[in-house]
Amino acid sequence: MTLAHGIGGVRDLPVPESFFFTTAAIVLVVSFLLLGVLWTRPLLERASVGRLLPEVVGRIVLSRGVRVLLGAASVGLLVFTIAAGLFGTSLELLNFAPTFVYVTFWLGLPLLSVLLGNVWSVLSPWRALADATVWVLERGGREARPILEPEQRFGRYPAAAALFAFVALELAHPRPALPRTVGVAAAIYSYWALAGMAIYGRDTWTRCGEGFAVAFALFARMAPFAARDGRVAVRWPFSGLAGDDRTRGALAFVAVLLGSTSFDGFSRARVWQDLLGDVRAELVGSSGLVTDLATTLVNVAGLLAFVVAVVLTYSAATAAARRLVHAPRSLVPDFVLSLVPIAFAYLVAHYFSLFVIQGQFLIPLASDPFGRGWDLFGTVDFAPNLTIVSPETVWYVQVISLTVGHVAGLAVAHDRAVALFQSRGDALRSQYPMLALMVLYTVGGLWLLSQG
Amino acid sequence: MRTLATIATVLVATLALAACGGNDEAAPTTTTETTETTTTTETETTETETTETQPDAPTVIRIRVVNGAPRGGIVRETVRKGDRVVIAVTSDVSDHVHLHGYDIMRDVAPGQPARISFRATVPGRFEVELEDRGVQIADLTVRP
Repeated sequence: MTLAHGIGGVRDLPVPESFFFTTAAIVLVVSFLLLGVLWTRPLLERASVGRLLPEVVGRIVLSRGVRVLLGAASVGLLVFTIAAGLFGTSLELLNFAPTFVYVTFWLGLPLLSVLLGNVWSVLSPWRALADATVWVLERGGREARPILEPEQRFGRYPAAAALFAFVALELAHPRPALPRTVGVAAAIYSYWALAGMAIYGRDTWTRCGEGFAVAFALFARMAPFAARDGRVAVRWPFSGLAGDDRTRGALAFVAVLLGSTSFDGFSRARVWQDLLGDVRAELVGSSGLVTDLATTLVNVAGLLAFVVAVVLTYSAATAAARRLVHAPRSLVPDFVLSLVPIAFAYLVAHYFSLFVIQGQFLIPLASDPFGRGWDLFGTVDFAPNLTIVSPETVWYVQVISLTVGHVAGLAVAHDRAVALFQSRGDALRSQYPMLALMVLYTVGGLWLLSQG
Repeated sequence: MRTLATIATVLVATLALAACGGNDEAAPTTTTETTETTTTTETETTETETTETQPDAPTVIRIRVVNGAPRGGIVRETVRKGDRVVIAVTSDVSDHVHLHGYDIMRDVAPGQPARISFRATVPGRFEVELEDRGVQIADLTVRP
């Protein structure tokens, strides 16, 4: 088991200094150049409409049959995962649940969402269960109504809290990859999702409370595909990030996404590891439970600090932008979506090798999910290739993804500024603090990758 | 004109930054860098000559576990890919020593030290920990 980072055997070598400095320099140059030559008219909002694909595509992809099939498979996987977690072997690397949750699910779904659009709306087991329940109720002649009126007051805060709980489990809990822990967590989260939908309604809760749905929907905005009125549309990538996000808690949610990946990187740094070591040394006489509790609290504090840091830096940047253009209202909702590409880039940079290496383990694990020596699909002897990506390849993926994410974020923010402000001068001036913020996040992200 | 001036300033700044980070080992003088390169080439030729006559000496990582925690903090060691490594652990508690990535596990108990001997064929960073307690005792970096 890896201490505080979900699961994993091989960890990345820190990015060498030369990579760090060169990439940071490239990031700076590209940013300034872009700012000088970027477009003068808002482009993204119009591009987000996209071009509709032939009707038959929508009829197949968005059909009820596909929904039911995928939904059933998803529910099956959920039950399977919980069962493996609770009843399978307690050795993390031999149990299906930890690898499936922390690698295949948590890393695979953002990737799938960025490539194909909001697939989670079809793949979510909780949504599938809720839809099935509604269908059964309505078949029986009863009306399926949520217990309470839809609450718009909460905004995204419940989802942010749910996502925080998940990342805290992955990063702060002393034994996050213990199969039993994963199984119990999946069960608790299922309760959270299903109860929320029952109380507030499926759509409301999916938009406000189901943390994964909100996260994957945000990433899906970067995708070249979108569903509209039963048809599939093709559009420029990132165009879905146009506009603002006035939902309450939007910033908090993105901050949890960004802050959690940053904290994961920071917690591998020597200074943090030594701090944890000191805490454990202080409590050497106490029971294991007390030590675990103490290290968990310290990690949660660190995680929270990073989330708060994102909120504070972003708020400072938008406040500065507001001062520079004398805007009548707060600019916080306007640039929140430009942080999404950076959040995704962080995810790719930190977890690429984990996904590619540990992800292979799913193949033998699928055949022996409970670790009891079964061979369901004949793949139990599959030996994952631990050297499938060289450290150099990992470094290139890391710096390239951060650079691309940075440029995309800048472009989205710029487009928003141009759409928002009448004068080109105002738009440009508002971008200087945003530019500084993005450079901070990108160079900070690079620095985190060079730590060890 | 203003854009041109900005671009020019930025390019100069970039060159300065890139030059600053150009040396992999961040050596303060170029002479140090050249000396390093010559030494490496020399060692490499010696190695190829002597592989048949002398087995390469393993890097030994010794860890003493006292009260379930590594004495002196987490032991950090860096080796090159292909090196032989021996991890020797003595402990005053019963547990299992687990080397991640290579996935090798050995029992350790008071009076029964654990010894993991292997060749570092996979580059990366690997944790060594006491499996039951979930305490990291060593951090091995294998350079490519």
